[in-house]
Amino acid sequence: MIEKIIQEDLIKLNIEASDWKDAVRKSAQPLVDDDYITENYVSEIINSVNEYGPYFVIAPHVALAHAPSESGAEVLAMGISTLKPAIKFNNADNDPVSYVFTLSAPDSDSHLKAMQELVGLLSGSEFYKVLDEAQSSREILQFIKDSVLNKKIS
Amino acid sequence: MVKALVACRAGVGSSLMLKIKLNEVISEHDLPVQVEHSSLDGLPSFDGPIVVSLSDVADELKEQGIKKEVVGIKNILDKDEIYTKLSAALKNIGEE
Repeated sequence: MIEKIIQEDLIKLNIEASDWKDAVRKSAQPLVDDDYITENYVSEIINSVNEYGPYFVIAPHVALAHAPSESGAEVLAMGISTLKPAIKFNNADNDPVSYVFTLSAPDSDSHLKAMQELVGLLSGSEFYKVLDEAQSSREILQFIKDSVLNKKIS
Repeated sequence: MVKALVACRAGVGSSLMLKIKLNEVISEHDLPVQVEHSSLDGLPSFDGPIVVSLSDVADELKEQGIKKEVVGIKNILDKDEIYTKLSAALKNIGEE
């Protein structure tokens, strides 16, 4: 499932960002370009953080950038960005962020399986190594496909 | 069974991942907990005793003084953290 909602052009390696807003925008841009999310969705992510704090930095170095579906999540999709250097999102527990997953979930349950697989990927150490060392988006997507196919993750 | 609500801002991302991890912990330790998830909008209509959220949201809920046992998780992938805090919450409400 997850390998179907992540495409090669949604994976960006070694993004240089000036701050967390820039990191969110640059990570989301490929999804905007493909019309999977609206510009408003990206603004909504940033506004929410301004209002509520960095609520989507879910684990050390990992951010799951997302906003409510009605803000402009049009098509189920996920982008992956690695940040070089890592960027502070002002989340004391989990800063700095090196990996941004931008989620577009048009409803509350169609992405359940994909999220389960993402949790599986993030729970091991191998995925981070691949994210750090990959030379191309293709390598990362291939790793995800292999992981799902081999049922290394559930 | 004790009902626990996993809530986050949007209700589609962090809370869903937290719910997945929470269910792993619950089944591994055989805890008497049944998990639901929603955005924070679902909170007023939730009738169970425990609310689980990322720590910043949890801190805010505690400040608001809601009458639930609030569990704040810093790292949603850390099963030890989840287990320790969930067990403490169950103890606080007299379930273990």
